[in-house]
Amino acid sequence: MLQLEDISVAFGGLAALSNVNLRVDNGEFVGLVGPNGAGKTTVFNVISGLVKPTAGNARFIAMDLLKQPIHARARAGIARTFQIPQPLHELTVRQNLIVAQKFGTGHSDPKRIDEILDFLGLTERAERNAANDLALTEHKALEVGKALATDPKLLLLDEALAGLETTGKRQFTQMIKQLHEETGLAIVIIEHDIETISELCQRAVVLDFGKVIADETPERIFRDPEVMRSYTGERSA
Amino acid sequence: MFELTLQALYSGLLTGTYYALVALGLALVFGTMKIINLAHGELVLLAAYVAYTAESQWSLNPLAAIPFAMVVVSVVAIAVYLLIDRIKKDRELNSLILTFGIGIILTNFVLLVWSADIRSTTTPWFQQAVVFGDLLFSSRSEILFFLISVALVGATWWWLSQTWYGRATRAVSSDRKAAMLMGVNPRQTEILSFVVASILATVAGIAIFTGQVIEPSLGHALTVKAFIITVLAGMGSIPGVLLGAILIGVVEALTVTYFSSSLQELTGMVLFLVVLLLRPQGLFGFGVRRG
Amino acid sequence: MRANGILPAVAVIALYLLVPAALGHVDYVMSLIVAALTIGGIAVAWAMLGNLGGMVSFGHAAFFGVGAYVSALLTLDAGWPVFPAMLAGGAGAAIASVVTMPALRLRGPYFALSILAFAHIFRILATELESITRGAGGILSIPVLPTVAGFDLSSKIGSYYVILTIVLMAMAGYAWLRRSTVGLALLAMHDTEDATKVVGVPSTRLKAMMLALSAFITGVVGAFNAHQINFLDPDYAFSGLWTVLPIVAAIFGGYRTISGPLVGALVIYLVDQLVFKSFLPHGHEIILGALLVAMIVLSPTGLVPLVRQTVTLVRQTVTRGHHAAA
Repeated sequence: MLQLEDISVAFGGLAALSNVNLRVDNGEFVGLVGPNGAGKTTVFNVISGLVKPTAGNARFIAMDLLKQPIHARARAGIARTFQIPQPLHELTVRQNLIVAQKFGTGHSDPKRIDEILDFLGLTERAERNAANDLALTEHKALEVGKALATDPKLLLLDEALAGLETTGKRQFTQMIKQLHEETGLAIVIIEHDIETISELCQRAVVLDFGKVIADETPERIFRDPEVMRSYTGERSA
Repeated sequence: MFELTLQALYSGLLTGTYYALVALGLALVFGTMKIINLAHGELVLLAAYVAYTAESQWSLNPLAAIPFAMVVVSVVAIAVYLLIDRIKKDRELNSLILTFGIGIILTNFVLLVWSADIRSTTTPWFQQAVVFGDLLFSSRSEILFFLISVALVGATWWWLSQTWYGRATRAVSSDRKAAMLMGVNPRQTEILSFVVASILATVAGIAIFTGQVIEPSLGHALTVKAFIITVLAGMGSIPGVLLGAILIGVVEALTVTYFSSSLQELTGMVLFLVVLLLRPQGLFGFGVRRG
Repeated sequence: MRANGILPAVAVIALYLLVPAALGHVDYVMSLIVAALTIGGIAVAWAMLGNLGGMVSFGHAAFFGVGAYVSALLTLDAGWPVFPAMLAGGAGAAIASVVTMPALRLRGPYFALSILAFAHIFRILATELESITRGAGGILSIPVLPTVAGFDLSSKIGSYYVILTIVLMAMAGYAWLRRSTVGLALLAMHDTEDATKVVGVPSTRLKAMMLALSAFITGVVGAFNAHQINFLDPDYAFSGLWTVLPIVAAIFGGYRTISGPLVGALVIYLVDQLVFKSFLPHGHEIILGALLVAMIVLSPTGLVPLVRQTVTLVRQTVTRGHHAAA
């Protein structure tokens, strides 16, 4: 459903991504891994439209992705979360979801909003100010909630689990797993934890220095010493 | 017609240089603080009126009034800085409204103290004609301040690129946090940029007082003009500011020559909008200011 | 919370019934109130753009002037009745705002000042395009507001009702918009624009819509003014005062509230005209500038939120007092 071809991104002459190819099929769960600064978030930014690539092509279903403005991509079914949660300011949790649903899908469905709140355990927090009155786990859940409210076909999760303590992480992982199994939604997740990737993903793509260095099943990837060296940040001179 | 064009180019060049002084001050403050001081033109006006008082009350030559005017303008500028410094939220937009308010205060202060009458120097020396080759007409004031302005723009450029304080100022404008790590006190450089802007504004004010006429509404017009020039120049380019200022001066002079003086303001505005919309990085710069 | 619903209703009734009953016979005060409401209308439009669109404009005089000219010329040269012409004036201002829309790509200060540039350009065009606008000499004897069902709307009280209705309708529309999903999205765009875009909010389109709406309201107010004073010239219609006074009013009253701009306009304009002007005939705007500075430095949210906080505080203290007594 999503196909990136030879995507390159440069910031002020520095290459952030070079010739990245990425394919995501219907209902697939893909892990995007690699050391800090490898360009993982930049890949998400290219897909969601926040960053314009300097070269390459991208297709989503039948759409030439790069020609579309950010909001049109959301409308077409691409949803993402931010690594640092970005709740919509000045709004309550419920209003966050209402805005996402109305603009992401074009219609309002209060019942669906209640379902999402319930699924994410946010029902009791629904009327709170999203920016100021939430704990970290709740902020993370709201990130996913906003994305789900747009009724996506492809969900991009940027370190949705980072910063959570063990129990929270466990619950969150199960929740995402359940989401994937129940809806058949295609998901790409950026995540450092090998166990989580192995548990969730059918395939993992490894980025290093803006290049794809491996694209395999998690078992194979985490057995490859070359990949693991780059993954843990040890680099031979 | 050729003579008229030549004269227009010449007059535009002369006015453009003092426009450059005004615009440079605005750009300096924008560089360090990322805010546009909408009361900047009023500072220029204030200097001009201080010179007027010095001349009419104490029979002081307007040039001798410069140091005194500098002190007055710098004090007011530092007061403006201290007020801006108190804004904590939504700094960019609140500071715009704040300095807009200060501009209103200064304009009306000038109106209350000096009345709405049009003033100019009464020292005849400044107004005497300087003619080159029976073709190019100007006044002594214009020639004098052309030279002073070019020298001051050069000095500012030298200061920013060659001295420690100047480099610190540039460091703050490009990366505030990094500059702090390098031991630069950003507050100090911010105040310094206001003071340097005041010095430039003072000289521009005296240039206008001796070469043209002053009235209370001039301050606002100067702020707008200075802003237009910085947009043409692209923020952060000193040669660009000089070129942009001369471009505005020349275009205005040509408009007056070939069309009418009532259209003078329009050409500057249209040029501003065309550049802003088509080439937002400025004619001579690389800055980006899209949202 | 209940007071929030009752207070506006009481205020509206007072504005429609009490003010004309109490002051209707004092022509001078009535005309000051009409002028204050005119400023208030622009202030509401300006604040709407600032609060929901996150944009500060220094050129609302442009939309005021365009509205005034379009309406005046339609009634005079095309024989339109006054009220449809006023709406057309608003539409004209909204269309004029489309010309300024490329400026929406620009960040805060650049946007603010490019709208100012447009205001200057429009003024000069109104002066130069003599064949259409009659040039610097201005337009005389613009048709007055009509008589409807035997009630002369061109009288002091009549024009009071017209401008009051315009302003209150603008405020009602603003309140409705702010509660709508579009309004929520606009509020959120203020601080978290990327996050709103990635859930599908077409932010530039919404901003453009806000600008057009704000221009429309300002244009209608400008048109009202033209038919109320029956005279127009470029320097008057595009005067910087139509920008300055509404900004001061909105900031003073609180530009992020619905009622703030109107309250601000009434307080500022009436105090300015009745008090400041009496001891400072020229240059009394210095006090307006000082107020603007003081509000930004001391209470950037404005008067209405300040009063609300104080009232809540007093109420709490009083209730606590009761509890202590009991």
